[in-house]
Amino acid sequence: MEMFSYLMATGISTGALYALVALGLVVVYKATSVVNFAHGEMFMLGGFLAFTFHVMLGWQYMVSLVLAVVGSFVLGIGVDRVAFRPLMQRQTLVSVLLCMVGLSFFLKGLARHLWGGKGDYLTFPPLVSPEPMQFGGIMIMSQQLVVLVACGIVMAVFMVFFKLTRAGRFMQATADNPKAARLVGLRVDRVYMMTFGVGAAVAGAAGVLMAPLTLLYPDMGFMLFIKGFAAAVLGGLTSIPGALLGGFLIGIIEQMAAGYIHTGLQEVAAFIIIMVVMIFRPTGLLGGSRRRKV
Amino acid sequence: MKMFRKSVFRLSVIALTTALFSGSAVADVQTQGISDNEIRIGAFGPFGGPVYLYGKLVMNGVAAVFDEVNEAGGVHGRKLTLVREDDNCKPEGSIAAVKKLAYSEKVFAIVGGACSNATLASVPELEKSGMPMVINSAVADAISTPVKKNIYTTQLTSSIESRAQLDYALNKGAKKIAVVRMTDAWAMARYNPLMAYAKKKGVNFIANLELQIDAPDATPQALKLKAAGADAIIFILYAKPAAVMMRDALKLGYNPEWIGETAINDFAAFQKQVGIPGALKNFATITAIAYQPTDPEMKSWATRLKKLFPNDELSTFNLNGIGSAQVMVEALTNAGRDLTRDKFLSAMGNIKDFESDAYAGKITCDHPRSHQCNQTPGWLALRDGKIVRLD
Amino acid sequence: MQFFLGKRTFLIVLFGALLLMPSLANEYHIFIANLVMLYIILALGLNMLIGFAGQLAFANAAMYGIGAYGAGLLMKHFAWPYWAAAPGGMLIAMAAGTLLALPALRMSGIYLALTTLAFAQFVWWLMTHWTSVTFGAGGFIPPPIDFSPIPVTQEIGIYYLTWVAAILLYLAAKNTMASSIGRAFVAIRDGEVAAESLGINLLRYKALAFAISGFYAGTAGALYGGMLGFVGPESFDLLQMILHKAAVVIGGLGSIIGSVIGGVLLTVSVEITKELKWSIEMAFGALLMLFVLFQPTGLVTFIKRWVPGWREHLQYLPEREAQRSIDVEASVEDVGITSTDESAQERRP
Repeated sequence: MEMFSYLMATGISTGALYALVALGLVVVYKATSVVNFAHGEMFMLGGFLAFTFHVMLGWQYMVSLVLAVVGSFVLGIGVDRVAFRPLMQRQTLVSVLLCMVGLSFFLKGLARHLWGGKGDYLTFPPLVSPEPMQFGGIMIMSQQLVVLVACGIVMAVFMVFFKLTRAGRFMQATADNPKAARLVGLRVDRVYMMTFGVGAAVAGAAGVLMAPLTLLYPDMGFMLFIKGFAAAVLGGLTSIPGALLGGFLIGIIEQMAAGYIHTGLQEVAAFIIIMVVMIFRPTGLLGGSRRRKV
Repeated sequence: MKMFRKSVFRLSVIALTTALFSGSAVADVQTQGISDNEIRIGAFGPFGGPVYLYGKLVMNGVAAVFDEVNEAGGVHGRKLTLVREDDNCKPEGSIAAVKKLAYSEKVFAIVGGACSNATLASVPELEKSGMPMVINSAVADAISTPVKKNIYTTQLTSSIESRAQLDYALNKGAKKIAVVRMTDAWAMARYNPLMAYAKKKGVNFIANLELQIDAPDATPQALKLKAAGADAIIFILYAKPAAVMMRDALKLGYNPEWIGETAINDFAAFQKQVGIPGALKNFATITAIAYQPTDPEMKSWATRLKKLFPNDELSTFNLNGIGSAQVMVEALTNAGRDLTRDKFLSAMGNIKDFESDAYAGKITCDHPRSHQCNQTPGWLALRDGKIVRLD
Repeated sequence: MQFFLGKRTFLIVLFGALLLMPSLANEYHIFIANLVMLYIILALGLNMLIGFAGQLAFANAAMYGIGAYGAGLLMKHFAWPYWAAAPGGMLIAMAAGTLLALPALRMSGIYLALTTLAFAQFVWWLMTHWTSVTFGAGGFIPPPIDFSPIPVTQEIGIYYLTWVAAILLYLAAKNTMASSIGRAFVAIRDGEVAAESLGINLLRYKALAFAISGFYAGTAGALYGGMLGFVGPESFDLLQMILHKAAVVIGGLGSIIGSVIGGVLLTVSVEITKELKWSIEMAFGALLMLFVLFQPTGLVTFIKRWVPGWREHLQYLPEREAQRSIDVEASVEDVGITSTDESAQERRP
């Protein structure tokens, strides 16, 4: 029973991380029909930015965190300007995807160039003391609790944002029907820009929070992108609650498979899930049925 | 169309004939890469990708040594030039790099080789070209064993380390030994000799678990180890997964003997990575390098490295490069001003009890019995909060 | 004038130069030239799948690997000679590729892309974990290839074999895409429902597209294993996949001659990057982005505009596609009829 509760606890906390990544992916996808391949790199750069501000320049912790999130937001807008907007009008899915892929490799190489010489995996201090805490009979890392709480806060903020603010409603409208949104006078390009910015900011925040647990290295982006994508697909690429559900499920499934079946499965569980979901229920658990394009 | 077909046929005949009869250029390869005032030395390894530390950073260490030697006038009046090639940590990359260095860049010798698989794939090419090779990063035994005339290694090979790990566990009196390992080529090169040695010693591992290089969490592994009651854990992991493993085990209040290897040799960094204070109480690891980057003995190298590469900090990877480059320079010096490939190779074979600035033990190449010049694993552990050598 | 600048001349010059390489250049250049031919074959196969049939698949590097592993393992485990093991590897890759047609029937676009990516990662996992068969992460060395009675070394023998394969596969691709199969592919790419209504059997042609690209990649893989003398999993990772995609994009989607150009340019670009000691990640990331942003239809369209003699059927025209995918959703909702009439939109020159 101890094993089960530990696996469950860890599954939930890594799941929260995957959920945050998936959230960013789904938000962008819903609005723009594009899966941002460079999303993992937003996460990675958020962490590195925080490292630069806090560890290298010695600025205050919270200040560095906020600045890193702002930096990620700006980066997201940059991605929109450079990789998405020019392509939106003219190009096909293949091109947009390839552009994102190219961007992801470029950013990874850039991070390696800028920070790589500093050593193996960079450490980033956690928000609270690193001692593990007792929690209902099991021990967890306090930072894992922080991630869980942050995930909750971000989700809540998003709900509020989409339902109650104008910007949020603009984003929803554009996601539903871009042509109609344009007809009604919404500045669709602005909305796309905001969407990318917000998606990247969420990723950056997640990166900073997770850095104490995962350590910082340039290749962390891809691993999280794949897991986040698996989560988004499992939950349904068009559903925000689905992204969250998918994240937690993937986190838990990974842990259980590794714990009860074979430790080698931890690596490949996400891929198997993607394939299985795609074959049997491509719209995911909570996604709507897809319209067939003619 | 007929004209076309005729000319194609004629071209093919010419091409095939010349290809069959052209051997490699018979130019004097013995002094290739040497001029009156220069010796060109090649290096290959990954510049990018997750294992660039073993390529780029090690090469930076080599460059630092060359810089020092050149400042003092070079080797017998010849300056050393480093020619780097990126092999992307892939077999085709290493084969291409060796070919390029041998036939296009025409270097005298190569110091390098980082990824075990890739370097292993390039061995036939190295042998064919006769290029003298000093391996400084790759650990697979098969690269240097059985002995090949022109290939030497100054890196601790994986079988040396795996045997040392098991011996350490047995010396500590462990009864239930477990293994946690990665599954890539590097890890397999250590795992296979470990299993062979364990069989020889009659040891059965109580748990044998996999952990991926980028796993953010090792709770399932920690739970299994604790359930099995292992009292010593042998790591075949890079530093990051090892840190994750230790952290998650400590979270469960589980802290047996932890036995690392040379991939985990930056103690100070590792301590920070694990993050939990007092975590490394029972941890010991093998080091090929005598010193930590922050030791006072390393100050001059730290300064020189900073001068050449302002963005970097001195790391243990640089030190690997420094040690191997010093061995190479020693052999070049011993071979004399009248330098040829054969003389260099025989000088390498005669190196005995050479003390470099970096390696934990003395370097002895036991030609013709063995070309594995570094047989001394050093052990590092924490005692009273200080990093000490155990041997 | 047309004759000298046209497609045919380019091909003659290219393949003629490749033919003469072993007699003129050093070993390193021969190695690179061999890579050029392999990338030509890979780009041809991938282009037929993505550029012509419009199936966005990410499994090409995995097929490449299956071809290399298939041929190598047949030689190592069962002592087959190369002339039997190579076709064996090719057929195994083709079969694996065809399996992917099943998910392709149910989904398209990003879903298909990521499913094939997951499949590719799964294949990689098999290569590293199925140690009893594939020798695991350490890879293996296949037995040496004997070309007797022709007195050539393995290196030279594989080189010329690749040369012959590249020419034959180019001709096969050209002719297939000019036939009714090619037209069916393009019909599927431009509109599945319309294609079906014209009587084109989706399953049959999608399976064919995947089978063809699997076959091409498998052939390249079998030759690759012979060229390197070593087969290991790291050669077939995501970076390899990106290189294949880059070759197709740089040359030109939906253009057979474009695949040839793409294969050559890709190898040359990789060499230039290595020469300049730049990071391959940064260089190729940037290259891919630049091409997609500024010359998305590939160098081929650029050449076609300025140099006579390069006409081809069924060149991919992405403008049409893009307008459709963003606007039709709205039109289907609003108007309730299917609208494929883009004549109202302004055509770009």
